[in-house]
Amino acid sequence: MGTKPVLVVHGGAWAIPDEFAERSILGVKNAVKNGFAVLEMGGSSMKAVEIAVRALEDDAVFDAGHGAVLNADGYVELDAIIMNGKTLAAGAVSCIRNISNPVTFACSVLEKTPYVMLTGTGANQFAEKLGIPQVPVEELVTDHAKAEWEQYRKYKQTVKSLFNTELVHDTVGAVAIDCEGNMACATSTGGITNKMVGRVGDTPVIGSGGYADNLVGAVSATGHGESIMKVTLARLILFHMEQGKTPEEAADSALHYMERRVHGRGGVIVVSKTGEWTARFTTKRMAWAGIKEGVLMYGLNPGETIQEIIKPSK
Amino acid sequence: MKPVIVVHGGAGRIFKDREEGARSGVTRAALKGYSILKEGGNALDAVEEAVTSMEDDPHFNAGYGSVLNEKGEVEMDAIIMDGKNLASGAVSAVKCIANPIKLARLVMEKTEHMLLTDHGASLFAKAMGVPEIPGEKLISERSRERWSKNLEPDSNPHEFKKDPGTVGAVAIDNEGNVACATSTGGLTNKLVGRVGDSACIGSGGYADNHVGAISTTGHGESMMKVVLARLILYHMEQGMSPVDAADTALNYMKTRVGGLGGVIVVSNSGGWAARFSTKQMSWATVKDDQLQYGIYTGEIHTSSVIESK
Repeated sequence: MGTKPVLVVHGGAWAIPDEFAERSILGVKNAVKNGFAVLEMGGSSMKAVEIAVRALEDDAVFDAGHGAVLNADGYVELDAIIMNGKTLAAGAVSCIRNISNPVTFACSVLEKTPYVMLTGTGANQFAEKLGIPQVPVEELVTDHAKAEWEQYRKYKQTVKSLFNTELVHDTVGAVAIDCEGNMACATSTGGITNKMVGRVGDTPVIGSGGYADNLVGAVSATGHGESIMKVTLARLILFHMEQGKTPEEAADSALHYMERRVHGRGGVIVVSKTGEWTARFTTKRMAWAGIKEGVLMYGLNPGETIQEIIKPSK
Repeated sequence: MKPVIVVHGGAGRIFKDREEGARSGVTRAALKGYSILKEGGNALDAVEEAVTSMEDDPHFNAGYGSVLNEKGEVEMDAIIMDGKNLASGAVSAVKCIANPIKLARLVMEKTEHMLLTDHGASLFAKAMGVPEIPGEKLISERSRERWSKNLEPDSNPHEFKKDPGTVGAVAIDNEGNVACATSTGGLTNKLVGRVGDSACIGSGGYADNHVGAISTTGHGESMMKVVLARLILYHMEQGMSPVDAADTALNYMKTRVGGLGGVIVVSNSGGWAARFSTKQMSWATVKDDQLQYGIYTGEIHTSSVIESK
């Protein structure tokens, strides 16, 4: 076994309110442990990121799968991406409905089609063909998502004000390197509250919401989707690393560029081909957790890192 | 700044009977875009005009003349980007409108979003008063022919997939602003809802006043895997010329993921390139009142704009 495996997850970059803080931390810790168990047993980084993101999708405190925010019609539309750093193969889905685990569906797009991205009605039809269970939208909608949607419709808040006050739930994601040195990333989201029907953000757009390349590293992004797209944030961070920057320097450089150039904020998790990793953000908070060599690290507030020694699972 | 426009009508294998149509289509589009730039118009308007001209031209796989998905319908992707502030608008899997590039522009200018898809894109088109046209009006005889040939059990879909047609344009105006635009009907007989590079920022196109603008064409999935447009600009940021940047990136795409394609590039200093790893790419450029165009590698015809009118 050559490389020491690493898994990092995030549960969204935004002004996470105190009432969600504890659950968000528990959620990312739980997800990273689930995903890391795959790596520990010699499993692939692709499997690990999928398992980690599934755990986050199933956790209603995060804006992905269960707990996703509602679009202008009061409906749930989901986006996700997964990418294989060895082959650069990727699978992405945008604007899909009634599916619990968009990241697994994205994986099917990668494995079962010659394509990278499927959208909307066509994507849903393909899911049906594959036998992926369709869940009623009520199962995905939480009271909180509904209440927030009603509030924003009532006061007609625009995206700008939402991000100025950062009162938005956010995306989930994971990056990993396995014992063979293969890298992967995955990102999943319900988008932003009261978004236009059919609005697609950065998450499923390769190079923006995520990117993985064995020759450099893997990134998953979260934050203001449109800003992330304008600077193709995930790919930008890896360009910096190709130039010799560390994951932390590359992440900070790219996030600050995004703020200066297009006035957008966000967060990223990054792992390099040598197993170095980082979790950085320009928003008020980002829930994140990472495991490497028996140590779990996690945080929520800027500059905060809490460490725990963990026993390997049997 | 001397304005420049470059357009392409797709990289792949252009069948002999389509060559003349492709050459005249790209030259017409380039001249239309250039007349906007010449009168002091901006790069965004120029690329939109050029792409619109090719969407309306059934010789190209965009708008009218788009290839058909597996159900026999036209589903289109398009993107437009403004290099000044990195604003962009895109649509994916949109049906029943004549000019997806115009809808992409409306997404950029009238919404706070950057990409609308499928049903949501149609709702937006309606809200903007974009006329809905019956899907059949976008279907050319050739597209229908290819679609039914591909359904035959002994068909060779690879043969027909080589027939290209994604269209695009890049420009720099006299104020030094750059812009790009790309539009396509996608892959013939594609799965319903398949989205290629043309709707994806960084893959189908990218524009940044600090560097330049790109529009791409070729095997969509390969271009997405290497985020081709952004990759080329990255090389230019490192000091490569548009030609070297394009060739390096296309070569990387061939060796890393086995994909072929073509790109048009304009740099923020007015340099330009039209390069392709496929057998052919129809392209045309106008700069300094001079028109140049070609299809095969190394083929360049030159004439003055006055003659070409």
